[in-house]
Amino acid sequence: MPGKEFLTTSDINVIVTAILIGTFARIITLKEDFRQYPSYPNGYLIHLITGFVAASLGAVALPALLSKNFIAVTFLTLAIQQFRDVRKMEKESLIDLEETEFTYRGKAYIDGISKTFEARNYFSLVVALVTSITIKLVPVKGWLDIIIGIAVGLLLLFLLVRISKGKTIGDIAQVKAGKIEVKGSELFVEGMFITNQLGSDLAQKLFKDEGMAVVIYPNEDHFRINLENYGQRQAALFEATRSLGLKRFHYTRRDFEDGKVVVALVPIKKDMDALIEVVKKCPLLESVKKPNSVMKTNLRGR
Amino acid sequence: MGRESKVSPKYDILAVVTLNKDRVLSGKPLTLLAQNEEEQKEMTDDIAKALKAEIVRMKTNDFLIIRE
Repeated sequence: MPGKEFLTTSDINVIVTAILIGTFARIITLKEDFRQYPSYPNGYLIHLITGFVAASLGAVALPALLSKNFIAVTFLTLAIQQFRDVRKMEKESLIDLEETEFTYRGKAYIDGISKTFEARNYFSLVVALVTSITIKLVPVKGWLDIIIGIAVGLLLLFLLVRISKGKTIGDIAQVKAGKIEVKGSELFVEGMFITNQLGSDLAQKLFKDEGMAVVIYPNEDHFRINLENYGQRQAALFEATRSLGLKRFHYTRRDFEDGKVVVALVPIKKDMDALIEVVKKCPLLESVKKPNSVMKTNLRGR
Repeated sequence: MGRESKVSPKYDILAVVTLNKDRVLSGKPLTLLAQNEEEQKEMTDDIAKALKAEIVRMKTNDFLIIRE
């Protein structure tokens, strides 16, 4: 058909392969881990679709350029806007859920989670873009160029996942079980005053029999800046209540003398090992200002 | 404490249950006078259960019923 230009089979191969690898990048970064997020099944579909769109934008960028369609590349700005919308959507969604959780995630944690969701869409875009560039650039033809493109895309994905992996509380602190004492209506953990809200006999008995507490000891003095941050402590408390449930009472307190942080609660499931593990694996929030040594990322992973 | 007081939970005092009539003052919060310690505990427990609130026993032996 004169005046019309169709994609060649080669271009279709490039685009389809890049879209698949880009979408795959989103699928494997969309994990349900011990922290249980995304916690809602429909969230999977939403993020898979947005990941697919991100991969598509990355995949068609190079073929568009090669066909001298320079204006078409401006749709990458659309991608940036779309990813920002993903972040906004995630943030709004988590804020809406705040009232229904055992405790608040807190704004700092929500900000970190929504940033992560935005970043994972960039993974899809970048992986798809690099895959398509590689397939176009390698001097071999046939299936070999596609295989090399897939390999480079997967390698990039591996590196991106490693680089973007944050640190956790367990990386900068020791988390140990805390000894609970109830003196009258006051609660102490490892000798540290926590609250005087145990005014009724029932509350005192409940905490004595079923209460649990962990103490976080920073490895270095400057890690106190992270650990004593209210948003960080709230995130640790949220993860604890999310994993073990909550009957009543939940507290985080910090000791100004030696920098230890206490997380105390009456959980539904009484499992001290799980509590220690979940607090250890609570992510360090990006919004908390950190010393350089904490921000340093190891490319080979932890 | 920094700005923590602005972001951490804020409590309202819903009621005070005391044994000392000199501490029963008008205004908010509701202040109730109990005749003896047993009655004071019962009153406090009943109000706290009904309002799903927490109880604080002060060193003066007055009870505060508070809620976020």
